[in-house]
Amino acid sequence: MLLLRLSLRNLLRQKRRNILLGSAMAIGVAILITANSFSHGISDIMFNKIMRYVTGHVAVRFNERGGVMREIFRDRQRVWDAVKGEPLIEEADEAIGTFSRAIGNGRSDNIMLIGVDTRKTLSAKAIKELEESFRMAEGKWEDLRRTDVENPVIVAEEKARYLNVKRGDIIRVRFRSMFGQDQAARLTVVGISRNDNIFMQGVVFLDRDRAKDLLGFRPWETGSINITIKDPQKNARALADRIHSRLRPGTAIIYASAGGRPAQVLGFRTDDANKEKLKGVMKLSSGSWDKVLRKDGVVLPAALARQLGVSAGGKIRLAYPRKFETAPREAVLTVTAVCASGCPGPAAVLLNDAGFYDLYYEDMPAGPAAGARTFSAEGPWAELLAPEWVLLNRTNNTDDYKKKYQDIAKNKWKGTTIDVSTMYETASDILKMEGVLNLITVSAVLVLFFIILLGVVNTLRMTIRERTREIGTVRAIGMQRRDVRNMFLLETLLLTLFSSAAGLLLGFAVMKGLALITFHPHDNPLGMLLVNGHLYFLPTFSGVAGSVLLIVLIAVGTAWFPARRAAQLSPAKALGHFG
Amino acid sequence: MNIIEIKGLKKDYPLGATIVPALRGVDLEVGEGDFMSIIGPSGSGKTTLLNIIGCIDFATSGLVSVGGREITALNDRQITDIRLNKIGFIFQTFNLIPVLDVLENIEFPLLLMKRSAAEARKRAEKLVEEVGLKEYAAHRPAELSGGQRQRVAIARALVTNPDIVLADEPTANLDSVTGASILELMRRMNEIEKTTFIFSTHDANVLKYARRIVKIKDGLIEKEPVAA
Ligand SMILES: Nc1ncnc2c1ncn2[C@@H]1O[C@H](COP(=O)(O)OP(=O)(O)OP(=O)(O)O)[C@@H](O)[C@H]1O
Ligand SMILES: [Mg+2]
Repeated sequence: MLLLRLSLRNLLRQKRRNILLGSAMAIGVAILITANSFSHGISDIMFNKIMRYVTGHVAVRFNERGGVMREIFRDRQRVWDAVKGEPLIEEADEAIGTFSRAIGNGRSDNIMLIGVDTRKTLSAKAIKELEESFRMAEGKWEDLRRTDVENPVIVAEEKARYLNVKRGDIIRVRFRSMFGQDQAARLTVVGISRNDNIFMQGVVFLDRDRAKDLLGFRPWETGSINITIKDPQKNARALADRIHSRLRPGTAIIYASAGGRPAQVLGFRTDDANKEKLKGVMKLSSGSWDKVLRKDGVVLPAALARQLGVSAGGKIRLAYPRKFETAPREAVLTVTAVCASGCPGPAAVLLNDAGFYDLYYEDMPAGPAAGARTFSAEGPWAELLAPEWVLLNRTNNTDDYKKKYQDIAKNKWKGTTIDVSTMYETASDILKMEGVLNLITVSAVLVLFFIILLGVVNTLRMTIRERTREIGTVRAIGMQRRDVRNMFLLETLLLTLFSSAAGLLLGFAVMKGLALITFHPHDNPLGMLLVNGHLYFLPTFSGVAGSVLLIVLIAVGTAWFPARRAAQLSPAKALGHFG
Repeated sequence: MNIIEIKGLKKDYPLGATIVPALRGVDLEVGEGDFMSIIGPSGSGKTTLLNIIGCIDFATSGLVSVGGREITALNDRQITDIRLNKIGFIFQTFNLIPVLDVLENIEFPLLLMKRSAAEARKRAEKLVEEVGLKEYAAHRPAELSGGQRQRVAIARALVTNPDIVLADEPTANLDSVTGASILELMRRMNEIEKTTFIFSTHDANVLKYARRIVKIKDGLIEKEPVAA
């Protein structure tokens, strides 16, 4: 209490000097808080505004049969179950989009057609972010759900201008379906949006389910999944790992009837390594390996072939109940060989994987009938049989990620690949900007550090010189060294705290002021760092508290040495200073 | 009983390459409750001697015991405690703390002793009355005259009930009338509080207040005359 009173009054004694140093510190705090909030704002834009709409923080990507553009998975429920129930997830959306050629009123251009989920209820936060990123110039999001017009769409302002279309106009588009067929459609403009996000300036929004329909998805099928989560920097990798571990595939099995008898239709792998292994495991009694491996046809186990009275060259009829539709799927296939020994099972009908997946993905089979014998692959067959899908290994950075996709191209998987990735693999360039921003903050800290260092040391030196006799007096009267030191530290601490408070106010005022300036994001490459054409600051409690704490630590740390020197003065010498 | 015992005290000050002998073998005993004056010309070693007695400076050689404790054996913390508890200082230049008012200056040592605020305030109020500055209790030192400041300093020196009060030329910065009143106050306090007072002066006029006079010259104590 005594020290506090002394320190406080002594601070007021040298007003000019302390106000000067205090102002420098306040400006420092303001700069630090502004830089920090700016940096946080950019992170927020990157992670919550750009990433959210471009890649998500975590993505589950599908590529059917190695086709890079074929981002489809045939059993929506199956993969969404692996994503569901994660408390960290803020949003998980199907990424439905395609490039297409658009013809407006006398002008044509390429557009990116993007499906948006207009049916789900959004959190207040999501709505706010949506409105910040995509402001509606005309119309509203709900208009995408209109049924009175053909394919209602919302067009980005720049695109609408370029295509010369207004609300109510028709845009004709040509595009490729998921399966490579050329498609044409008429879109009705129901709204115009202003998209600040640089990645979103050429887009046309369409209801997601309509978009899926146009692209050839069936209702139970899903596109790749983009997931936005809380605290992405902290959680993205772990979440991706968890989802990945839930997506381990089993053997793909079609429980079917072959010529009226229960059978399990299985695929065998035909990549080079597995081909050779297959020849070592299974013995054929009729037919040839050549045909087995090259042609679409089935290998029957000897017992089943006998029961059905077929041999190589004969035909069999397969039928199986479908998972998502009522009528069974039927197919007539040629027997290419009969398996004499080493077959995967007595009723296992083998199909090479290319042919197998044709059936399997086009009409997902229902599971085994109640009471039917289930199949499980044993011994070498566990490796040789076609899996439900191919789960790609997790990678941690862009280089490994690229390499993984090069390997896919080489391997020519016949099944659908599932890849679980994070922004660290897919959006590393955007993330690099974080480093630049951190550099800005670090520079601010350094500048500040020196201001405070010089200011505090100088001020304290002057103060101590002026108050030498006072120091001698209080020491002679009986104040301990420690208390003398603490008195000066406390003075510095108080000054720093007052300055920080002033700096806080100043910083917030500066941010308010800077945020008032309007920029034109479209002629500026840094446009993506803006929100609605304004600089965006996001002060966080930890950032502000951290800044203040940092300044206090620097100031008090710097004051330590002169304060200790003052305390070490011999009282006799200190008293004799003027006398 | 002697409250101060000094034997063979020497003090050298290094001054560049040379050494200045400030005290050259001082023997001195001071009894409890004494009111003693040290007189000598400028540069004779008065301040040096008082500083060593007051434990703010240290002997080059010789023995110094204050209140029965040999001080050369103590560390800074213990010596600071002795200054706080056993000794009161009155300075030629008053040396009050400018940011504290009269009452706060007086209670300052008590707060250093961790006495309660109420107790310190009560004792300080008693002393401010004894030195006749009751009306000035809330004034800052800058608002007081030299004589009033020295009264505050006396009150501050006495507030802890020290064994010894040391005053280095307490009247040198005061006119003779004020100086006389200060010495009268000190003398009265010596009688009320039974505190040992040692003050230095080079002004023969103030000697009449002393009960015992020690003369110092060139770092040595001259033969003591009989007390006045
Ligand atoms: N810090 C110091 N460094 C060097 N020499 C010193 C120091 N302090 C005192 N002296 C010297 O020691 C001697 C005694 O000084 P001291 O201050 O004790 O004398 P004094 O009797 O108090 O004189 P005055 O009446 O002028 O106050 C003097 O010669 C002085 O120059
Ligand atoms: Mg002197």
